[in-house]
This record gives sequence, structure tokens and C-alpha cells, in this order.
Amino acid sequence: MAGTAERMAQNQKQVAISEFFEKNKHFLGFDSLVRSLITAVKEAVDNSLDACEEARILPDIRVKVTKVDDKKNIIELQTEDNGPGIPKRSIEKVFGQLLFGSRFHAIRQSRGQQGIGITGVVMYSQLTTGRKTHVRSKIATETSAAVVDIGLDTRKNKATKTNEDREIWELPDGSLKEHGLEITCRMKAKYQRGRQSVYQYLRMTSIVNPHADITFEDPDGEIHHWPRVTERLPRKVESIKPHPHGIHLGTLQRMCTEATDNRMTSFLYKNFSGVSTRAAKELLAAAEIDEKAKPKSLKAESYRALIEAFQGERLLNGKPVKLLNPPTNCLSPIEELLIKKGLSKTIDSRFVTTMTRTPTVTQGNPFQVEVGLIFGDGMAADKPVEVLRFANRVPLMYQQGGCLLTKAIESVDWRQYGLDQAGGRGVPKGPAAILVHLASTNVQFTSEAKEALADNEEVLDEVRKAMLEMGRGLRKHLEKKKKMAKTQEKFELVNDIIPAIAAKSAAILDRPIPDLAGSITKIMSAVIAESETVWNKETKQTDVTITLFNYTSRARAYTILAAWPEKDGATMEGNEHGGRKEATGVWAWKLDTLDPGQTFTLAYSLNGLERGDWTDTDVFFRGSQDVIGATKMDEKLLDEIRRREEVLADEESEEDGGDIKTDDKSDGDESDAPVEEEPPRTTGQQTLMGYGSDA
Amino acid sequence: MMSASHTPEETKAALHEVVTEMYDKIVKGEAPTMTLPVRTKNNIGFDNALGVYKYGKKRSVRDATSLGSAKQLLRALHVVEFIEEMIDAGKSSTLREMYYISESWGLGKFSSQNESNNLAEDLEVVTKCLREDFKLRPEEDGARMIGNLTLRELNRRGEWMRINARDDVGDSGYGVPYNVEEEKIELVEHDINFIMAIETGGMFDRLIENGFDEAYKCGLLHLKGQPARSTRRILKRMSEEWDLPVVVFLDGDPWSFRIFASIAYGAIKTAHISEYLATPTATYLGITADDIEAYDLPSDDLSSRDVDALKAELSDPRFADAWWQEQINMMLELGKKAEQQSLAKYGLDFVTDTYLPEKLADLGLA
Repeated sequence: MAGTAERMAQNQKQVAISEFFEKNKHFLGFDSLVRSLITAVKEAVDNSLDACEEARILPDIRVKVTKVDDKKNIIELQTEDNGPGIPKRSIEKVFGQLLFGSRFHAIRQSRGQQGIGITGVVMYSQLTTGRKTHVRSKIATETSAAVVDIGLDTRKNKATKTNEDREIWELPDGSLKEHGLEITCRMKAKYQRGRQSVYQYLRMTSIVNPHADITFEDPDGEIHHWPRVTERLPRKVESIKPHPHGIHLGTLQRMCTEATDNRMTSFLYKNFSGVSTRAAKELLAAAEIDEKAKPKSLKAESYRALIEAFQGERLLNGKPVKLLNPPTNCLSPIEELLIKKGLSKTIDSRFVTTMTRTPTVTQGNPFQVEVGLIFGDGMAADKPVEVLRFANRVPLMYQQGGCLLTKAIESVDWRQYGLDQAGGRGVPKGPAAILVHLASTNVQFTSEAKEALADNEEVLDEVRKAMLEMGRGLRKHLEKKKKMAKTQEKFELVNDIIPAIAAKSAAILDRPIPDLAGSITKIMSAVIAESETVWNKETKQTDVTITLFNYTSRARAYTILAAWPEKDGATMEGNEHGGRKEATGVWAWKLDTLDPGQTFTLAYSLNGLERGDWTDTDVFFRGSQDVIGATKMDEKLLDEIRRREEVLADEESEEDGGDIKTDDKSDGDESDAPVEEEPPRTTGQQTLMGYGSDA
Repeated sequence: MMSASHTPEETKAALHEVVTEMYDKIVKGEAPTMTLPVRTKNNIGFDNALGVYKYGKKRSVRDATSLGSAKQLLRALHVVEFIEEMIDAGKSSTLREMYYISESWGLGKFSSQNESNNLAEDLEVVTKCLREDFKLRPEEDGARMIGNLTLRELNRRGEWMRINARDDVGDSGYGVPYNVEEEKIELVEHDINFIMAIETGGMFDRLIENGFDEAYKCGLLHLKGQPARSTRRILKRMSEEWDLPVVVFLDGDPWSFRIFASIAYGAIKTAHISEYLATPTATYLGITADDIEAYDLPSDDLSSRDVDALKAELSDPRFADAWWQEQINMMLELGKKAEQQSLAKYGLDFVTDTYLPEKLADLGLA
């Protein structure tokens, strides 16, 4: 663990811009009292999440905001994590200098791209209250924790250390803290509730970091807890070399001057992704640079020529030089099922659909789009939907209107998918929330405030495509709901109204109440399936019942099939009617003949799931007469699923892991497995019914 | 006269037929039904014998295969039961009271007053009984009347009162009660040449202030917009029993045309009792479409709803004659409508000194 912590500390590059901060704090998220607090929380929590991720620790994060002086708007912020901690000698580096992460050299997806860093918090605290930031850090290899008060000399860009000491870090339960970091600072700030608040920031953070356990104690002493919903850490992201399409002149110059390579060919081949030796030679030929030229001694006009060759503006034999796309395994999407869990955790609602697009490339930068949509009664029906924007797992809370992600949402005509939208433009209205996450090695913002993503056609297109697909899922859900309401009406008709008509007419005419069976069969003239999927608190199981009603005048024979989350590791219990497995996640029961007016109920429980994992059971049937409330089994689809399973089973045994396959998502689902973790499994629902399910 | 009314026994028997239709269907193993005439303009036709528009032969069957119509049937049963209870107890209730009473009918409860009004009409149409037979009263009050005509009304103390609608009333005139049948109102004598039915209260009061009823020896009847059943009924009785011409003076817009049609030919909603309510001899005096031009009246543009209403009237059998087709088309061409009171453009006396005398002269009434 210590190795990780030290290596991470060394990677930080020093940039002397503390003076710049003092003059430009409004650019950096410290422009209002409310926002300053959010920014401070953001810097601390992002650091904690990044550190935990890199050290492969499941993060436990605690945030506490206390009002010290309400009149003067003085607030104390304390954050604590269980990350690797920072070695004592690195503390002043981490907290005392403005850091730029490592993005100029290593290209990868990281949260750190998005803020000025924790130093900004130290600086802001000092500027507004004159107080130093108290840091307590414990690394695994040492028995005690290091404590120190950090201040800043903003002109010299140097940390000032006071009250250095070591202490035993005891936890409230009396045990000793193994490793972690605690920061306590006082600043002029204001705590506020609402859409732009610390609460909202943490809530959103928890949605896209389902592996994190986050606790927040607000100034009123109220504790908000967002528990961890998965033990699976985000995939370790690999650094990649920059791609020629995404390189700017200044960067190229610096890379050349710092290069140790002797020849331009090897420099290009070794330092860029997507450049083969052949491509390197072609690029140099196009830029009219000698292959043997030393990178360090390249002339000014040659830089420009090379950039033009990179961009395909300089041709070779009348054609731009062909380059390979950069690898996309440097991205770490959250993945559908986990977004679903995250959303369900923080928003209490009925329908959730999520999807992760295949990674793709824009201007030499790999990116990947993930979206989620939640719909249901818990939210306001007459207000614009809540838009939850994220870049590299960091919530974006300001400048919603100017953001590319919002524009993509607005570009969809949501009316066709069942949401209100005046004129088919703008953010739709309805009881829904839409989540958009952009994972990229180079997130482009509209400004230094880093709250809105800059326009980019390829990204917009990807988000839009994802929105359309989710929209289709929503429409399907609403149609299903409508159908169910219709069935419900029919039940009310035959169970309540017809008997009442019979009783009342008999009473008025003073005659006996007639037998209703004939009328009911005539009115319904259908076979109806009703399924119920409920979480059983006592047994911690999901209980499923499927009831079949024969409201026709003839005897009927059916095979009923049900989807179940076998792939998620669930087991079926208490299934007294036996049946057999038809495919992974599909169980079938051949029923006895059902006479007119007869009903039959199947029941079983699913074990090994958590609450909310499986909330709706899709029912299928085989038989000649249609069944309302069930879908006729598509035998071809079933065969296809079976075939796919065989193929996957073969592939899995050969799988070596590590790469993201860029082929179509719908047939894969299993392919992006990292070496050390279990691959994410999608459920039978998605295979059989498309995306989306009731939650 | 009131040959329309039925004895309590006849009424109950007619209602039981409705119930029996439902009951028998259940016994036969079918969905219960209620059969009733189609109540739209597509199913009214001119009855030569009666001289009014009546429902045709088109029937619709309301069957209990959908939740909505099944609930309608159940409500009808509750209403039947309620009516029988009132008949037996010698009580009556307003339609609004019935709506509130339905609160205790569980699944058969009405969800709006409109629904209960429509159902009462459905039952009238199916059973050929009147809502008076059902002991159901409308909320609406009748119109006001002024002029030298005398009638006798049975008051609530059971005494017959003789009332002259000129000498025994104040400026607001005689108030027409909701029941104007013979058991309640007797037409005694008159000294007038015609009756004028007027749409708006403002115009009614204008004619009274100007002494028009005396100057032209006429009875004035305020319709209060779309006239209530009792207003149309008393107009018909006076026209028939006293053999008096009836002229109708309304605004010049598509809705006034409909008011006139309901007075003269029968309303679509009450076509089952048109012969008791309609006055086929009534004449439309104005405001006509050509008045707007001829008198250069201040006018408003037709709204899209007005235009739709006019277009619907073109295919309404009650407006099928040449004069109405011309008036409706003319109004569509003009794209204008005008109120009665727009005549005030030429002064307060213009209507009584010029407009009405000219129009009445065309009819030979002045």
C-alpha cells in the first residue's frame, strides 16, 4: 500500500500558479459562498475516490459540514476516507502546491482533470478565515498517523507547515484506523439545500460511484447515507499515449524537446498511439522531415508541418496518412447494471433503463457515453425532468443550459416516447430523471469553470443515439403499463361491476340472482396472466407468483415461461411445479389443461438477490390462444439465445481479458472483463425484452 | 292536455323493461345491454304528422363489455331503483340532488352532474316517459314574460291565482315555473296579436322600457339563452291554444340559429318529446346575416368555433331549407356575427322605432 501512495505522490507535477489562483478564484469554483463549499467538498471527495481507485480500495467516505459562525458565514468542513493515505513527507507537496495531475503526459480518464485540486481548498480557507488546514494521514506501513497544519505562501508557491506531530488514529469504535486521510478546514462559505448543494453533489457522486459508501452529516446534524451497492471497483484505467489527431502544437514542441529518442521515426512510433513504423515514415515524408532528424533539434516550421500531417492536411501521394484509432481500454465506464443500481438507490421510482455505448474516438481521444433514465410516480410530473450530468464520474452542477449533454437531450423529440415537451424541443417535462455520463481521456469544457461540456459533434451524436434507444425502452414500458391498466379494468368489470348489475337488476325485478359465468366468459373471452414480483423482507427473497385465468368458453393448454436473473447468480426456490430450464434465465412449466373459468397459480422465490435487483417478471407462453399479460414465446429468439450462450461459453474459456471489444454491445455484454474482477453480467430481462425494466 | 305524462304504474313498467333487458342477457350468458336511440343530428328526421323533428330508427346498444359502459348500466339500475322509491314515497328531487344522492351508490356513483343529467334523458328516451314521471326536476328556472295576457297558476298553498302579465307584475315580469302543464298553469285570455321571444335580458328590458309590448300589442318572452323545457313548452301552449304567431328575436350568430331550431323544430337532445316542446309556426325575425349588411351593424369576426358550428348546421336536417342554407352561407361569407344590442349604434329607440317595425311589417305583423 505504501508503494502505491508514494508513487502517486511522485507523479504530481508542480506548477507555480498559486498567485494566479488568488486573482482568478472565480474561475475555479470559489466565486460564491455557496459554490465555494461545494467546490471544496468536490476537490476532497474526488481526490479520495481517485486515490481509493488507484489503490484498489473500496472507498468509505465521510463528509461533515458544521456551521461555526452563522452570522459571519464561517463553516468547518471535514472529510475522511479510507484511502492509502499520504506519506508524511509528501503531505506538503500534495496540499501546498497547485497540481495539474498527470494529464499532459499520460492520457487517461481521471477525475483530477476537473479541478484545481485540494490546494485550492487550503488556499481558499486561508484567504477567507486565515486558518490553516488540518491534515491527518495514516499509511498502512506505519503504526501512527501523521498530523500537520498546512498553510500557503501564495507568492512563493510554498506550503507552510506547523504543529507537525504523530498520533494514534483511533476510530469511534475503539479500533485503530488502518489507512486513510482526514482533512479539516474552515472557510467563509454558506450551506444551502436544493439542486446546487453539497447534498446534491454527494447524491450524484454516489449514483456514478456505486462502489463507494458515502456518509454526509449536514449542519443540522442530520446523517445522509448512500450505501455501497457493488463490491466491484471501477476497472483500473490504463494510461495511453497521445494520438496524433488530438495533439496541439505546444504539446508537440514540449514532447520533442523532452524526448530522448535519437530519430524522429522511433520518437513518433514510441510516443504516440495509432502510429505504426510505416505510418511514422509516411507522416515524416508528408511533413518533409528527415526520418533521421533528432526530435530535440526540430525546427519551428517542422513542428507545424508535422501537426498538419497529423491532421491529414498535408498529403502523401494525394492522400492523408492513415492512422489507427487509439486503444479504448483507457476508459472506465460505470456500466449499465451499476448505473441502474445507483439510480435506484438515490431515486425512489418505478422504471429504470440504462445503457453504455461502445467506446469510440473523437479527435484522437477515446470516449464513451453512458446514459440512464428513471421514470415514475415519485417525481413531479409537470416540471422539467432532472438532468444528471457527469464527466468522468464527476457531477456537473452548474451551467446546465450551455452543456453539450443537455443539448443532446434537448435534440430528441421526447413526445414520441411519452414525455411532455413543448414543441418537441428543450428539456422534456415529466416524472423522470435523465443521467448522462461522458467518460473520456480528454474532457473538453466550455470554460475554466469546468461545469459545461463544449460542443463536439461525435459526442453529441453518441449521446443522442443513446437517448433514442432509452426513449424506446421508456415507450415500451409505458405501453406495457397501459396494457396492464386495461387488463386491470377488465378485472374490475367482471369481478365488481357485472356482479353488481346482476344483483341490482335481480333485486328490482324481484327475481333470483342469475349465474354470471356465461356473461363473464363472453365479456372477457381471453386468457389472462398476472404476475407479481415482490421483495420478501423476512426471507430476503424475491417472491414471484404467476396466475393464469381462463375466461374463454373452451379448455386451454399452455406452457408458461418466465425470465429470471439466473446470470446474476440467483437461485430458484420453492418451485413446487417443477418445470425445466429452457435457456439461461428462462424457466418453463407445462401446465395441465385449464377449463373455462378456471385459474392456476405458479409460485417460486428467488434467492441470492438484493432488494430492487429484480422487480418485474416477464412472462411468456406457448399455446394457440393469446394470453393477455404474457408474450408469445419467440422460438427463433430463444434458439438464438441458446446458440449465443454456447458461443459465449466457448469464448469465456479462452478469454484472456484486458481489451475492450469494440463490436456491437448487444451481442457481447461479457467481453469487457478486467483480469482481476468478475465481468458485469446483464440480466435475462435485457436479452429478452430489450433494455429497461420496472424497478 | 299533457298526454305525455304516465301513471306511476306505467312509468314503473316502462323502467322494468329496461332492467329486464339487462337481466335476461345475463341469464342467456351474454353481456348485459341497454338499447337506445342514437341521439345525434344524424338520427333526427322530420315527422310529417307532428310537424317537428323526431329521433329516427337508429339504435345504439350500450353493452357491458367495457368498464365505462358497464358502469353506465349499473348507474341506470341505481337511478331506476331511486325513481321507484320516490314514486312510492310521493317525493321528487332535482337532478342535482340525485347527483349527490348517488354518492352512496358505490360503484354506480356518478362522476359528474352532466353524467346524471344525460342518464335521466337516456331513460326518458328509452321509456318514452317524461322526467316529470320520474319525479326529477331540472335546476334551471323558466323565463320571464310581460304583456297583456292572463293565466291562472296553482300556487304552493293549492290555490289558483289569476295573474295578468302586464297589470299584476313588476318590471321583471311574470316568472315561468318549471312545470307549465295544465295541472299547474291554465291559459285564460289575452289581448295581443303575437308573441316575441327574445334572447337577451338587455333587449327584453329595452323593449319594456320603450313600451313596445303596448305599442305593438304583443307578449314578450325572455328566453335566457338556450331556453329551458318549460319556456319552450309554454311558448308552444300559448301559440297553439291562443292561435298566436310567434316571432323569435335573437343575436345574429350560429348559436342563435340553434336556439331557434330548438324552439321551432325541436332540440336534438329532446327529440323524443319534440311534439310537446317545439313550436313549428315560429318565425326567425333577426338578427339575420343580411341584417348585418343592411343595417351596417357593428360586428365581430367569426371565431373558428363559430365557423365549425355554421358548417355543422349546413348538414343539420333542421336547417335543410333554402332560406337557412342561404343565411348560413351568407354568414360564412361575411365572416361576421352581430349581437341584438348592436342596434343601439343608432340610438336607444332605433330597435323599437325602426328595426322591429320594419321586420314585423315584412311578416304582416305591423
